[in-house]
Amino acid sequence: MVEDSSPEHARLIRKLETIAVLSIAEKRAIAGIPMRLKSFEENTDLSREGEAPTECCLVIDGLVCRYKLLGAGQRQIMSLHLPGDIPDLQSLHLGVLDHSLGSLTVGRAAYLPHAAVRDLTDRFPNITAALWRDTLIDAAVSREWLAGVGRRSAHQRVAHLICEVFVRSRALHLIEEGLFELPVTQAELGDALGLSTVHVNRVLQDLRRDDLITWRGKSILVKDWERLRLAGDFDPAYLHLLDSPASYASPEPLRAGGRV
Amino acid sequence: MVNRLTANLQLYSALSADDVRVVESLVVSTRATTGGEDLVVEGDAPAQCRALLDGQAFRHRTLPDGRRQIMSFHIPGDVCDLQGLFLGMDHNVTALTAGEIGLIPHAKLAEAMESHPRIARALWRSSLVEAAIFREWMVGMGRRSAYGRIAHLFCEMVVRMRAAGLVHQNRCAFPITQQHLSDSLGLSAVHTNRTLQALRGEGLLSFQGGELVVLDWPGLKAAGEFDAGYLHQSENAYRSESAG
Repeated sequence: MVEDSSPEHARLIRKLETIAVLSIAEKRAIAGIPMRLKSFEENTDLSREGEAPTECCLVIDGLVCRYKLLGAGQRQIMSLHLPGDIPDLQSLHLGVLDHSLGSLTVGRAAYLPHAAVRDLTDRFPNITAALWRDTLIDAAVSREWLAGVGRRSAHQRVAHLICEVFVRSRALHLIEEGLFELPVTQAELGDALGLSTVHVNRVLQDLRRDDLITWRGKSILVKDWERLRLAGDFDPAYLHLLDSPASYASPEPLRAGGRV
Repeated sequence: MVNRLTANLQLYSALSADDVRVVESLVVSTRATTGGEDLVVEGDAPAQCRALLDGQAFRHRTLPDGRRQIMSFHIPGDVCDLQGLFLGMDHNVTALTAGEIGLIPHAKLAEAMESHPRIARALWRSSLVEAAIFREWMVGMGRRSAYGRIAHLFCEMVVRMRAAGLVHQNRCAFPITQQHLSDSLGLSAVHTNRTLQALRGEGLLSFQGGELVVLDWPGLKAAGEFDAGYLHQSENAYRSESAG
């Protein structure tokens, strides 16, 4: 960790270090990027489909999702974002948002001007590689969710999502005393997994009854990781985390890069 | 002869004459592929990228219960395993038809991206658009009817093929079988078959000699509630930049 980085910058550095090896100079440069902090309420849009953001949104506290509304008013949640994630990193290179970004809880975000992020990628090819890698992992998560809605049972989908949030939270050091937060309603889980609220409710009851997880308020305690993993058909390889033994990720510094 | 790779990258970033020269030197060797051949498989850590120069391919994974999920289709010009540059492969890429691939060593590609930022930007943008396609398929499976999903996929393929210059009048090559459609959209074979009959019956499209013929484009778009925004083709913010 870079000693003089703010807690907000430290979040971003921690996140990038879960997927890339950064040098001291690179971490210093990240710690110097300007940020505009802003609080958000729950269930509000941080940006909307069709907008063309000029800043990237870094989640500092709370839970954020990307979603799309269909003609019939139905919502599909496409991803969940934890503190340290930059859910709209794509806006750096794709001008117009093809989905909306909304909060599921109260929280705070830090906004990073695109120009400042571009300047960083111009100067540090390895930071470019780390950010690019992050967007590729984001795509891998989308493919995994796609396989879930296409091929997994309701039980597998719910258990898989809990496994994913657990492993990502652990990598981001967001687990306290074995508990991690998943502050979503059953309706929101349904919107993420393509299931009805009734169906989600039944599966959660089963997972509790089988003693795989316990809820403590909005936090989850995993009581039997191995069985939960099996129930969710979960293999963390698609998260490509550096510290995950099951990851394919190479421990070597990243190849390639280039100014973008 | 059109260089498919160059044409594809030019959709994503305005390339200068020098960029184009570098892109055209990336492919160090080509080889013919046969339909059904695995081009890269889950668990691989490839040292080169594969650019699809002719024919089509698809990405897929098989789940532990043996069921296959197809995650995208690739058309000529696509680099089908760009992710291998930064990550190991977490899925397979298989040729849908006989065709040709060009091999690009990672080291050569990294060097080109370092010295030619527009090439890097084009490739990054192409991988971001791919990610948007995965999300759109997820929305389809989570929220659209079988009818809507199939119509949406046809629209997507037509719009992508058109941008690549592969649609002639209202026809394009369409080697995707009903089995592939079922495995892409999470539908049973029976459901897929019945839905295709409905789309044909309504005069929206037909199939002739391995080609898809679009008979009613507005009707097909309406059937799939298709909005091409997620393909990011109309954004010319980057293309209007000077390519000097």
